[in-house]
Amino acid sequence: MDVNFPEKRIAKELINVSIISETISNLIWYAILIVLFVLHSYFSWTTWIAWGLIGITVISVIFTIWGYIKPFFIYKNWRYDVDKEFLQLKSGALKEEHQLVPMTKIQAVATNQGPILRRYNLYSLTIDTMGSSHIIPALHKDVAVELRNQIASYAKVKEVE
Amino acid sequence: MMENAKRYHPYTMIFDFLGLIKGLFFAVLYLFVIQYNSESTFVLYGRYAFYAIVVIGMVYILLKWCFYKYYLDDTAFHIFSGIFVKKSQTIPFTKVQNVKRHTSIIHRFLRVTSIHFETGLSGEEARVAFGVVTKDTADRLEKQVGKNNDQEKSLDYSVDMKLEQKLEETFAPKENRRIHFTPTRKDTWKASFTSFSFLIIVPIIGTIYTNVKDVFGIGEHTEGFISTILNTWWSTFIVVLLLIVLSISLGIVYTFLKYGKYEIASDINKIYITKGLLEETTFSITKDRVQAIEINQPILKRMLGLAEVKLTCSGSFSLDSKESETNSLYPFLPIEQAYSILSDLLPEYEITESMEKLPKKSLVVRLCKPYWFWIIATGAFFYFQPPIFSMEISWWLFSIILLLFIVSLRVLDFINTRFVLNENMIQCKSGSFSTSLYISKREKIIEVSLSRSLLQRKVGLATIGTMNRATPVQFNGVNDIPMELAGDFLNWYVDRRKEVEIDADSIYFEKEERKIKN
Repeated sequence: MDVNFPEKRIAKELINVSIISETISNLIWYAILIVLFVLHSYFSWTTWIAWGLIGITVISVIFTIWGYIKPFFIYKNWRYDVDKEFLQLKSGALKEEHQLVPMTKIQAVATNQGPILRRYNLYSLTIDTMGSSHIIPALHKDVAVELRNQIASYAKVKEVE
Repeated sequence: MMENAKRYHPYTMIFDFLGLIKGLFFAVLYLFVIQYNSESTFVLYGRYAFYAIVVIGMVYILLKWCFYKYYLDDTAFHIFSGIFVKKSQTIPFTKVQNVKRHTSIIHRFLRVTSIHFETGLSGEEARVAFGVVTKDTADRLEKQVGKNNDQEKSLDYSVDMKLEQKLEETFAPKENRRIHFTPTRKDTWKASFTSFSFLIIVPIIGTIYTNVKDVFGIGEHTEGFISTILNTWWSTFIVVLLLIVLSISLGIVYTFLKYGKYEIASDINKIYITKGLLEETTFSITKDRVQAIEINQPILKRMLGLAEVKLTCSGSFSLDSKESETNSLYPFLPIEQAYSILSDLLPEYEITESMEKLPKKSLVVRLCKPYWFWIIATGAFFYFQPPIFSMEISWWLFSIILLLFIVSLRVLDFINTRFVLNENMIQCKSGSFSTSLYISKREKIIEVSLSRSLLQRKVGLATIGTMNRATPVQFNGVNDIPMELAGDFLNWYVDRRKEVEIDADSIYFEKEERKIKN
């Protein structure tokens, strides 16, 4: 049998979710930076601190821009699939990663939901094996619950060790 | 259940007590030797605290011996622990991955030993440890655990195993051990020069110096002493010569103690590795618990044609450095002998001599990868401009030398990288100066991965990775193999259903559950 590359896609709302969480963390981070700049001018710290702060700001801006582009790439490239024997995960735009996990080696599977995911009625799915932990970042509620139950049921079959 | 439980060996108390004293050694030295005549309140209260700790410790040791119990039924260990907060644990024999016996000098003196059953699970169930047991008890425990495992196995395999083979397995006398290797005197001499064991003097002097300095505060004295020695060339020469002789002879003694007595043996089911002259450690593992084989050749061993063979198995990790190397067969095996011993020990692992090389384009990809280390190092050279041996070497020369070195590492790694897939085996080799060969069976690999960077996708290459059970989990793989081979690798892995034995019970439960649902 040839390995069929996985086809199923994750929820498109992941993009919105990531952008919201990116925005929140950026607001907090830039607020801290502004406070530092204010403190700097108020207490007139030495110049090298200013240079450091400017450097950090430049790097932060680059990361922020990347942070807003990244979700589109993540959504576009994420694929997963599950059958009786294997769980397949594929992701990554620049570096493509493809994992093949035997069902018999899966030890735990769980759905998780944070506040932003809840707003879009999404769940993330974590899958733990003997030696690794995988996460499918966003799935619609019914898909997530069904997938979780399906994996849980397939994973009951164990190998003789 | 609890009624059948037995206490641990009474000598456990002696060992616990020795442990307590060892922990308090420097306190004793300080309070009762160095401050012998001291009248200060600090020392006085220190002594009271010391007595209190010793008394509490002894009571604790006694209570621990009274309340900690264990018993074995047909399938599992039952461990009862805790003095105030009681705890009981059940660890099935089927979880036991390997068995370790360690006989320290004190164990030897008291004619007892210690035995550990490693489970490869995490946390408190990682091992079932018997710190002190008589040799008979240890044998009995090991036999009981082994017996039950074998029984279970013969049930599982009963369908497809040939009858005679099964009979042979079940009735073969356990004492039917075959010794595959014991080092000759020559081997040990070789070992003592390739293991850099003469460097052992460095940590020894280090520990002695820091301990002595802390307790006696003689750091300044020694410095003065050293400077008087260094004053004349002949005394320096003699001292250096003495130190070299001392370190080499210490190294040889150390190697003889550690590797002088060594034995690799096996019977039908298990592999036994015994080592140590004064302190004896025996490691035994059931053959089908071996997850992978690793053959390492650091540069020096490669030049001398030696190799270290490691059996990857879960539960082999231990914080105690003395025990951590137990899963290694003799680390200084001549390479040919290593292969022949391996084929005797684990005939299922067929080592293929001829392996595939990588195509030229993977060298190109490897050379095109960013040289992060070189960039950072060059930046550092440029900024600090370090004078080395007070020579005025300009920073760009350093940078060029470093670049050449890194490039040659990459080229060497390309030359050494080999890869082959057999029926149900994978074999890959990599490394630049020191090489490492990894061999595993398809059924023992718990997960595989394939990754492709942008550049790799352009030229049709991929990186493959495998994961094996071990503590911690072991990753292996090959970089930059052709995409077709990588695809073959995934298909090869999917075909693992051919060998994998499914636990009949678990299928039964799964089906039952589905019935209930529908």
